[in-house]
Formats: sequence, structure tokens, C-alpha cells
Amino acid sequence: MKTKISILFIALLLCAVAASGFAAEYPTRPITLMVPWVAGGGTDTGARILAAVAEKKMGQPIVVINKVGAGSQVGCTELARAKADGYYLGCVSLPALNTIILDPERKAAFGIDSFLPIINQVLDPGLIWVKAESPYKTLKDLLEDAKKRPLAVRASTTGILGDDHMAIIMMEEIAGVQFRIVHFEGGAQQLTATLGGQVDVSFDNVGSVMTRIRGGQLRGLAVMDPERSKFLPDVPTTVELGFPTVISSSTRGIMGPKGVPAPVVKKIQEVFLDAMKNPEHMEKMDKAGLAVKPIMGEEYIKYFRNLQERCKSLVDAARKAR
Amino acid sequence: MKRAWQIMCLAFVAAAIVTLVSSFGYPYKDRLGPGPGFFPVWLSLITGGLSLALFAQVTWSRKAPFSQGSPLPENRAGTIRIFIILAALAGSLAFLDLLGFRITLFLFLIFLPLALGMRNWVIVLIFSLLGSFGVFHVFYYWLKVPLPMGVLGF
Amino acid sequence: METLQYWIQGFTVATQPVNLLYAFIGCILGTLIGVLPGLGPAAGTAILIPITFNLDPIGAIIMLAAIYYGAMYGGTITSVLVNVPGEAASVITCLDGYQMAKQGRAGPALGIAAIGSFIGGTFATMALMVVSLPLANFALRFGPPEVFALLVVGLSLVTGLSGRSLLAALTMTMFGLLLAMIGMDPVRGAPRFTLGIPPLYDGVGFIPVVMGLFGVGEILLSMEAPVLEIIKTKLNDLWPKREEWRVSAGAIGRGTLIGFFLGLIPGIGAIIPTFLAYVVEKKVSKHPEKFGTGVIEGVASPETANNSYANGAMVPLLTLGIPGSPTLAVIMGAFIIHGLTPGPFLFKERPDVVWGLIASLYLGNVMLLVLNLPLVGFWAKLLEIKYQYLYPGILLFCILGAYSLNQSVFDVGVMVVFGVLGYIFRKLDWPLAPTILALILGPMMERALRTALEMSGGDLSILVTRPISAVLLIIAVIVLASPAVRLFGKRAGKDEGG
Repeated sequence: MKTKISILFIALLLCAVAASGFAAEYPTRPITLMVPWVAGGGTDTGARILAAVAEKKMGQPIVVINKVGAGSQVGCTELARAKADGYYLGCVSLPALNTIILDPERKAAFGIDSFLPIINQVLDPGLIWVKAESPYKTLKDLLEDAKKRPLAVRASTTGILGDDHMAIIMMEEIAGVQFRIVHFEGGAQQLTATLGGQVDVSFDNVGSVMTRIRGGQLRGLAVMDPERSKFLPDVPTTVELGFPTVISSSTRGIMGPKGVPAPVVKKIQEVFLDAMKNPEHMEKMDKAGLAVKPIMGEEYIKYFRNLQERCKSLVDAARKAR
Repeated sequence: MKRAWQIMCLAFVAAAIVTLVSSFGYPYKDRLGPGPGFFPVWLSLITGGLSLALFAQVTWSRKAPFSQGSPLPENRAGTIRIFIILAALAGSLAFLDLLGFRITLFLFLIFLPLALGMRNWVIVLIFSLLGSFGVFHVFYYWLKVPLPMGVLGF
Repeated sequence: METLQYWIQGFTVATQPVNLLYAFIGCILGTLIGVLPGLGPAAGTAILIPITFNLDPIGAIIMLAAIYYGAMYGGTITSVLVNVPGEAASVITCLDGYQMAKQGRAGPALGIAAIGSFIGGTFATMALMVVSLPLANFALRFGPPEVFALLVVGLSLVTGLSGRSLLAALTMTMFGLLLAMIGMDPVRGAPRFTLGIPPLYDGVGFIPVVMGLFGVGEILLSMEAPVLEIIKTKLNDLWPKREEWRVSAGAIGRGTLIGFFLGLIPGIGAIIPTFLAYVVEKKVSKHPEKFGTGVIEGVASPETANNSYANGAMVPLLTLGIPGSPTLAVIMGAFIIHGLTPGPFLFKERPDVVWGLIASLYLGNVMLLVLNLPLVGFWAKLLEIKYQYLYPGILLFCILGAYSLNQSVFDVGVMVVFGVLGYIFRKLDWPLAPTILALILGPMMERALRTALEMSGGDLSILVTRPISAVLLIIAVIVLASPAVRLFGKRAGKDEGG
């Protein structure tokens, strides 16, 4: 009798253990957050701040790794091929991912359906800026000069086919000017070149240069967003200046490979949204000049797809110019 | 040694030809100047040229630039040791993702000292445990450097 | 005098016990990170940023800067002991440093490296305090055309490494340049020669290649006769000999200047200063043919240059907020996370941070010296471990390092393949350094040329109409032509004599 009861007890115990094993809540081990950009850059900085705050509520460490290369193509390829269990996520920057997919020469191993946008973190509006000693005091000055000297005014980007490049093409089409486009790899190179007078004007994002504009080293000509940036309240928007369609921004958010189960997605969104609203996170992001704008779920997916449409014609225009 | 140099020169010439042919697949010129195919074409031509020149110098010049030694390992024991190392490296490549860092390097660090002649099993075991599990712990948990986990999730 | 007042204020900040502690910890961590091959300063620093999240800004930045130049020295240790350079800055040190170690002279090599690094770093820091802004502004005139020209000069220095066969050296250089073509091209951003393998989209990584060619290749080579490899280092052999001190003095002086001034130019990377210093040293030496066999100036020169460069590169970072290298970009990221943007703004708003950091750089150089000199004996003794354990141990760290770059076994594979190639080339006595140099400089050159053409709208003459780049290109032509001139000179002499 005793033996039968103990066997039954053990059996029940085993069932309970097995059941709890199956019902074990995500996450049960550390999560990898892959940043396809270089350590120390804008995306990486934002991701590390977010990971540090979010891992407390997540209950498991969130390990940030960098898989740099090919303008995020290397990292995104990894993300598309990763197991869709929620333990491998990416901090993806748009429209960089869109243009990789749209440019056939990039031979991307993934498409727009390979990813599941989960929650967006940063929306960094595009910014047109010059060095403080530049003769251009307003956007009007710049465009007048560009009209007078077609293909002579040197405008720089932080990467081929990035959001800066797309913004220049938009501006060219609307304002009827032609710039001499010079591409750099990243903000640091662009900054060096602009300060050194190698180029005349630069297109980048608010976050990268905000503190230098405030400090007087640089001057912002226009923010490419419907609203003025809270970090640069004195810089007019393109809308105010008469170019309401020249809107450009770089967003960075968390994505997974397609097929991450819905309950896992929900948990990720919950934890990260909470982290984004956390005052410690907001404070550090503010200091870094990165505007936090959480966009979740369906809205984020729609944003991703709409951006794809918008970029199609711009990528074609950029490719024709080659 | 002379033969070895000649073979290497010819290998470079072959590689240069292959590269040259593939370079034709990329645009040579671009709106602004050299396209992606420009430099590979010229570099492969120069490489081929230099290797042929070196071949000629080695084969026909009186003043030979190569030393008198042999290009092969000095003795049979040395050759075996080299193959042992290569085998271990190949094994680690094959199994690193499959079995994970800890197990793969544990095996790696047991195999090598033994294959190279060590007989003290205890020290070998301690060495391989420290090198695989120990190092993993320091790097993965303390320094947060991601290291490969095997299919067993371990 | 305002500067003096700031300097004093800076020292007050830097000598606070807690900041001294941070600098000390940073030096140790940095050295350890540098010692681990493959785990270069950039990756290591990025790993440690979260640790510094919880420290106050000044302390965090002091620690990160200490890690940065500590790692420079750590890379030297592996270069000398096992011929595995931790990163680009240590590659040249392998040439003579490892040979010295094989002769049982690892002690003097490491010692002179520590001392040279100290002198180079200190001088650079003092120069930083005095001349910052005007120099930095001058360096800004180095745009893409000038960088291209400078890189061409760098590549032309290959002729200084030719060893027994100039043609073989040139062929190896071409090999490096061809390898550099693999990956995304700078023109359209489209993959080239990648055979459809995604990890190759960013090129064949320089670190796995160098770890393979130099490190794994060397291990395979020593497997031929490892019994002879047990290197006994006597204690009184830990210090350089008197004549070695004398020749090193010149090397250190030249290395310091070369390193510092090149550090002012953002974006050229550490291999150029070390390489240039080495070649210059060889050219002024009374016994150039001995370079590569283990002469102490061959270690003193690049080591001094690389620390002087590392500290010099702080100038554009602090004065203009421009990070000269990926590692400095990481440090700048740390500045930003703590709410500070390096640049003229910071000098005005937070002189305590800037001058505190500068003073801490000086103290850090002292600390590195104090830490590392006594350890020289320890490192040298490490070489006495039985090869059956030593080499597998080294391979363990090589595998770890190569994997950790991109969390990819592919890089480990690249390292192994190049290990085999490295062995083959060593047996043939073909020089490896030109390949590495070309692999690093090649992509930079193509990008710089492309960007220069974008700036000029397709006009190549921009390279010669701008004064600095024109001068540099003329220098490159002279350097390249010099061996040919010597050859003709010899032949003409032979005809006359014969």
C-alpha cells in the first residue's frame, strides 16, 4: 500500500515538474539583443541604455552584441535566420533595412516578410546642418546657392542609401536643385569632413549632433519633421519653411525574426514599453539627444511597410544617378 | 626550395586569372570614376605580372632569392605534430556550434596534450576543465562575451 | 596663466583616491583585454561600458581611457611572447619582438616596450595640454584626398620590409590588396567576391587573418622542432643591455614624434604610425639588415609610436569631439551616455572633466609602467610552460578571440585557413607583413579615393591640386622609386667594376 502511494506521489510530482517545465514563462534564459551597428554609435547607445533598464523587469540578462557590417545587412541577415523563440532580437534601424531590401544589387538574403516588428524605441528626425562658420545662415541660403551652382554644392550623408541620402534626393526633387552628394561612413567621419570644409552641408539626424548645435560648434538649418525637436527648439522645420513633403527620420526598434509566438511578443512589448517610459531611461536618452517614441505591434508593422513603399521611388532615383 | 617557389608563383598566377575573370562581372566604370570592377581588374593583372616575373627570376636568374633549405617539415615527428594540431583545429571548427564552446574545447584541450605526448592524466584533465568550463564562465558570465552554445542548449 | 591653473585643477581631480582607483582598475583590465588576442580594445571597451554606467562621469571616463591605453600595452605582450598581435597597433612589434623572445630576450623586449610606451604616452599628453586646438584644426585639413595620399605613402613603405626578395614582398602586398577587395564595395555598397556567403559581406576580417597568418602559422611552424622552444630566461637577462639603451633612445624619440603627429589625423588607424616608425628606424640604422631578427629598436620604435599615437588621438577627440578610431568612438559613446559631448563646448562647460581626464592620462601612463615592469619577469616565465600545454592554451584564446569578434565560427575558420597559409609562406620565406598592411590599408584607400572623387565630381586632379595630398603623393613616388634606383645604381657599379 505504502509503495503504491509513494509511486503515485512520485508520479504526480513528476507530472507537476513536467507541466511547470512546459508552462515555464518566457524568458527562462538570457536574451540576446543584436545591434547591427558599431559599438558607441547612436543605435548602439540607445540599445544599451534600453537593455540595462529592461533587463530588471525581464528577469533575465539582456546581452547586447554587435554584428557590424554592410550598413546593417550582416546583422539583419543573422536576425532573419535566427530561431523565432524570442531569445534573439535585433535593434533594427529604418529606413536602412528597407533600402537594403529594395536595392537588388545588395542581394539581400531576406525580404520584408522575414522580420516581425515588435516595438520601436527611437524616432530621430532628420536634420540639415552646417558648421558655425558656414555662409549659409538659413535653408533658403543653401537652396539659392544650390540653384545657382548645380552639382557644385557638396552635401554629405552618413551612408549610401541611408535616410540621409533619401532625404537629399527628396529635397533635390522638390526644390529643383542638384547637389554633389558625398557619402561617409558614419557620423564621426561626416563631422570631421564638415568641420574641415571638405563638404558644404550635411544631412544627418538630430541625435547625432544636437549637443554640438547647442554648444555653437554647428548650426542647424532645418529639421525634417512636422514638429520642432524638443532638443533644438530654435531650428525651424521643413514644413514651416515650405517643404511639407520633405520628411525624413531614422527609427530604431526591436524586431524579431518572423514567427515569434504571440504571447512572447506580448511579454517583450510589455517589458520594453515599461522600460522606455522609465525615468532613468528617459533621462539617459535625453542626454544622448535621442527622442523616444514607442510604437508597438500593428502600428509599427504598418510603419515598416509604408516606409517600404515610400522608399521604393527614392531608391530607384538614387540608383539611376550611379 | 626552388621548385616550391615556382609552384607558389604559378598558384598566384592562377588565382590572378580567376580573379580577373570574376572582376569582369562588375561594372568597370562609373559616373564618377572607377567602378567596383576597376581595381580588381588592375590588381589581378599586376599580381599575375609580378608572379610571372618572380617565376622568371627564380627559374633563370643567376642570383636566386630563395634560401637553401627545404620547404617541407624537417622530420616525420614534426609533420605528425603539425597534423595533430590541424586535426584538433578542424575538429573544433566542426563541433563548435554543434556541441557548444565548453564541450568542444574540453575535448580539444584533452586531445592535444595527450596526442603531443603528455602522460599525466590528472593535470591534463584539470587543464582542460579550466580551459573550457573555467574560461567559459569567466567570459560568459563575468564579462558577458557571448560564446557558442551547442544544440543541447549548453 | 590659465592653462597652469587648469592643469592644477585637473591634477586635483585626477588624484582623488577614487579616481586613482578607477584608473588603476582600468589599466589592469585594459592590459588583460589587450593580452587576449582578438578581443580588441573596441570590443573590450564596449563590454565594459555597462560597468561604468554606475559610476560618476569623470570616474567612468577615466576608467575607460585607462582601459584603452592599457589595452595598447596588453597587445604588445602577446605580440612579443607568441607572435599573435592583439590588434593592428601590435602587428609591427611581432617582427622583432617575437624574435627577441625566441632568443630568450622577452624581458628586454617587454621592458623597452613599457618604457617606450611610457615616454611616448607622457610626451603626447603634455603636448595635448599645450597645443591642442590649432594643431587639431590643422589636422582637419586632412580630407579624403589627403588621407588617400597618406595611405599611398603608407603602402609604399612596403619596400622597407622586403627582406630577401622584393618581388615576393610586392606579390604578397598584391595578395593583401586582393583580399581587401572582398566585401561591400565603397562605390555602390554591393557585395564583391563574396561567393554568396553573408559573413563575407563585410570583408574577410583583418583580425582573424592576422591571428591566423602570424599566430596559428607560427604555432604550426614551431611544431616542427618544439623541443628547442623551451626558452629559459635568466633573471639578469630581463633588462636591456647598455648599447641597447643607447639605440633605443633614438628610436623612442623618433617614435614619439611620429606617433603623436599622426594621432592628430582622425581615421588613419594605428598601423600607419607603428609601421612608419619602424621603417624610418630601419632607414636611419647602421645595421638595417638586422631588422626582423630581433633588434631592440625594432620593438622600441613601434611601441613608443603606438602609445604616443593613442594619446595623440585624444587631441581631436577632446578639442573637436572627433573620435579618431573605433575605440575612441566607443569612449565617446560613453561620454554621451553620461551626458557629456566632447568638443570645445566641453572645454568651456566642464573643464574639470577635460583637465581631470588629461591629468589622469598622465598618471595612467605612470601606473602602466609601474604595473607592467615587475610583471615582465612573470610574462617571460610563462614561455617556459611545456609546449604541449602552452600552445593548446594559446590556440584556445585564439579561437575565443576570433569567435568573439562577430559571434561567428566563420571567423575561426578564416583564422585556421590563414594559419595554414601562414605556415606555407613562412616555409617559403615570403614576408607576411606586407599582406597585413595591404589588407588594412586597401579598403581605406579605395574608400578615400571614392569619397575624394565624390567631392570633386569625378575629377582626379583634386589629388594634385590640393597642396598636402600633392606633397604626399610625391613622397610616395620617391619611396617607391628608391629600391629601383638602388638596383640600377648597383648594376651600373658592377658594370664599371666588372
